[in-house]
Amino acid sequence: MAKKSSQEGEKKPEYITVKIDVPRKYRWSTGKYIGRTYREAHENKKIVANRCVKCKEVLWPPMQVCGRCKVEAGEDWVELSQTGTVMQYTYLVYPLWDPHYGEKFANPYANAMILLDDGVYIRHFLEETDVNKLKVGMRVEAVWRGDGERGEGMADVKYFRTIDE
Amino acid sequence: MPNRVAIVGIGQTRHKSTRRDVTLPEMVNEAVRAALADAELTMKDIEAVFTSNMETFEGIYLPDHGAATEIGAYMKPGFKVCTGGTSGASVVVEGFCMVASGLYDVVMVLGFEKQDCGETTAAITAAATPIWGKGAVTGAIGEFAKQALSYMETSGAKEEHAAMVRLKADRGACKNEYAHLKLGLESAEQVLNSGYLVWPLRMLDFCPQSSGACALVLAEEKKARSISRKPVWIADVEVVHQEPFRAGTFADPTGKEAYTQHVACERLYKRNGITNPRRDIDMAEIYEPSNWEEMSLYEHFHFCERNQGWKLVEQGVTEMDGDFPVNPSGGVIATNPIGATPTIRVAEAALQIRGDAGAHQVAKDVKTSLASALGGPNWTVLTLLKRSL
Repeated sequence: MAKKSSQEGEKKPEYITVKIDVPRKYRWSTGKYIGRTYREAHENKKIVANRCVKCKEVLWPPMQVCGRCKVEAGEDWVELSQTGTVMQYTYLVYPLWDPHYGEKFANPYANAMILLDDGVYIRHFLEETDVNKLKVGMRVEAVWRGDGERGEGMADVKYFRTIDE
Repeated sequence: MPNRVAIVGIGQTRHKSTRRDVTLPEMVNEAVRAALADAELTMKDIEAVFTSNMETFEGIYLPDHGAATEIGAYMKPGFKVCTGGTSGASVVVEGFCMVASGLYDVVMVLGFEKQDCGETTAAITAAATPIWGKGAVTGAIGEFAKQALSYMETSGAKEEHAAMVRLKADRGACKNEYAHLKLGLESAEQVLNSGYLVWPLRMLDFCPQSSGACALVLAEEKKARSISRKPVWIADVEVVHQEPFRAGTFADPTGKEAYTQHVACERLYKRNGITNPRRDIDMAEIYEPSNWEEMSLYEHFHFCERNQGWKLVEQGVTEMDGDFPVNPSGGVIATNPIGATPTIRVAEAALQIRGDAGAHQVAKDVKTSLASALGGPNWTVLTLLKRSL
C-alpha cells in the first residue's frame, strides 16, 4: 500500500520496487576466428587477425566473411603490430552503468582508437590517467596481463602505454 | 511500377523524460489517436500496423506485444522493426514498401520508447558482445565523444560552434509543443559551462533520454487523395546498413572507411536528380545525437564541403529562417525517445511540407524535405518527401 508522504505540501510519488537477484547464466562462444585471437593472446601474447583471400585486407576483428568481397575470408592469419598511434580518445567523467555487473562503471583509463603500425586500428584503453598528457598522435604499445591472468581475448591487453620515440 | 505512397496522418505524444502517469501501451495509444485524428480515420480504416522500438531498453522482451490492443493492432497484420537507432525510420521504409507493393492500401507505422523504464546506456553497452567490443563501454556517448574530438581536430570548429548548434536546437524546441528539453538557453556560456559526460562531450552537447511515441498513417495514391487535402509524398527511401563496430565509424581518423551517409545520400540524390542538395531540397530533419555530429552530418549529406559544416552554423544558414533550415523542431538533442526518434524526423519533415509545423514552421516554402536516421554502428536511413510528385 502506498503511504502518504510525511512532508506536508510535497507530494512524492512512491514507486513499486521489485527486487530480483538472479545470476546471469550466459555463455558466449568465441568461434573459430575470434577464438584463434583469444588463444594467441592467452598463450603467446600475440594479436592475430585473418586476411581476406581475395582483397588481402586485414579483418579486425577476425571474421568468417569479408564484407566487401562477400567471400569466405579463410585462414590467412597475420600477426599485428603491438605499437601504434592514438588517433582518437575520450575518457569518462560521469560514471555509467556496467550492465554485465550492475555497478556504476568508473574505469579510470581513457578509451582510445589506436592505429597500429601495420594500418589496423583497434579500440582499447590507455595507461595514461593524467588527462593533460593525452593527445592525438601519441605513440603507445600494448601491455599484457600476466601469466594466469589472461584468457579474455583483447582484454588480455590491459591497456596501451605511452612510449618515447 | 510501384504504387505511390503518401503520409496522410501524423501524430506524436508530448515527449518527456518520465511518463509515470501512463503505461507504455497507454503512451503509444496517445500517438495512435493523434495520427488517426489528423487523418480523420478510425482504426477500422487501418489494414496493418508496423511498430519500431529498441528491444531491451525498457528491460522487457517484445514491449510491442503487450501493446497490441492499445495500438489497434489486435488481430491485424504487422510486426516490429528493430534496427537500432534507425528503427523508427526503418519502420517508415517498411510501411512504404508494404503500400508501394500493393499489399495494403492504408497502414500505420509507429515508433515508441519509454526510457523512464530503465537504463538506456546500459542497454547500448550490453549490445556489445562480451566476446568483442568491451572497449565500447561508454555506450553511444563515448563514440560521439571521439567523433567530436576528431571533428574539432580536423575541421577547425571550436566549442563555440557546437554551442551555437545547441542554442539553435533549443530555440526550435522552445517553439515546438511536443519537444522534450525546452531549456530557454540564452548564451553559449551556458552550454560551455555544463558538466562533462564523456570528454569532450558535455551534458548539453548530447541528446536526452525521452519517453514518447510518433505514428504516421501511410496510404496509396487514390486513397491518399481522398483521405487528405495535403498528402505528403514519400518520393524515395534509402537504407545503408554496413558492417558493425568498425573502428572510428562516426569519425574515421584514417579515411579508410566508407560512410553510410555518403553511400546513402549519393544513391538517393542520383535517383532523384538532386545535384545541389541545398538548392534541390528545401530543409532537412536529421538525426544528430550531438551538436558536433550535426556539423559533421551537414558535410556527410553534402549540404556543404568537407570541414565547412561549422561555417554553415556561423552564417546561420541552417536556422529556422535560414536559407536551408535543419532541425527546426529542436532535433534529437532536444527530444530522443529512441525508437520514435527517426519517425519524428519524418513526421516533422512532412509537417514542414504541409505548412503545419506551427510555431517552428520555417520561413521559406518547403516543397521537398529530407529526413535522416542514424543508429547502431553508424547506419543510415534516408526518406525524401515531396509536396507533389
